[in-house]
Amino acid sequence: MTQANEIQMEQLGAVTLLDIRGDITILSESFLNDAYEDANNQGAGKILLKFQEDAYINSGGISVLIQLLAKTEQNAQQIGIIGLSDHFTKIFNMVGITKFAKIYKTREDALEAMS
Amino acid sequence: MNQILDDQTIEINLPSKVGYERVAMASAAALARLGGLAPERVEDLKSAVAEACINAMQHGNNWRPEARVVVHMDVSADRFIVSVTDQGDGVPEVPKYPGIEKIIEEKVSPRGLGVFMIQQLVDKVNFNQTADGGHTMTMEIRSTK
Repeated sequence: MTQANEIQMEQLGAVTLLDIRGDITILSESFLNDAYEDANNQGAGKILLKFQEDAYINSGGISVLIQLLAKTEQNAQQIGIIGLSDHFTKIFNMVGITKFAKIYKTREDALEAMS
Repeated sequence: MNQILDDQTIEINLPSKVGYERVAMASAAALARLGGLAPERVEDLKSAVAEACINAMQHGNNWRPEARVVVHMDVSADRFIVSVTDQGDGVPEVPKYPGIEKIIEEKVSPRGLGVFMIQQLVDKVNFNQTADGGHTMTMEIRSTK
């Protein structure tokens, strides 16, 4: 069983949007890290992660995201998240991701707050 | 693992391969919906079943594809019980999630995250050794929270 993520990067003013298609599991590690490195190399200071609302996210994927947050914390980057279902919003709160990244309801909310 | 199966019970036997937890997850969701679990609880159940299967495949069976994971599900009017059994020796101690601050600031391993999620998502969870050397995680989730 293979899995691939498609991640598109878009610059929206001061915010770099990473639009992540597909499920978030341990198999997402290289895709997310490569996308982050691209954004980081272009000097991104504010990164907005957009997930698909029907994406399957498991603990392996959350671990990858936490490791990503360790890098953004080290590089003093601001992180926002959009596109999560209510269930995964609850889980991201539960495991503490919201201590290091802010979840927004909509892209407009995120851009207004982060710009 | 010879249990009586009736019309409220299903059992699935999975290889220990990445992604196969989704088979159990989808089956649990379908049975839970038939049993009338609230939609929010079905989502909790799906994540808990997925994490328990991954835990069994990874820590119980060391990702040996030939080592099986058996998922037994039983639904009733007010609750859903699911047990996930591996063929390994289980973990001597349930790992404790260190918390995100320690992972990020002290570079501690995120080990224990899956079990932590299960403990938060279900109403009851137990860990037991089986007579034939495997390990079973049994979870109970009520219809409404």
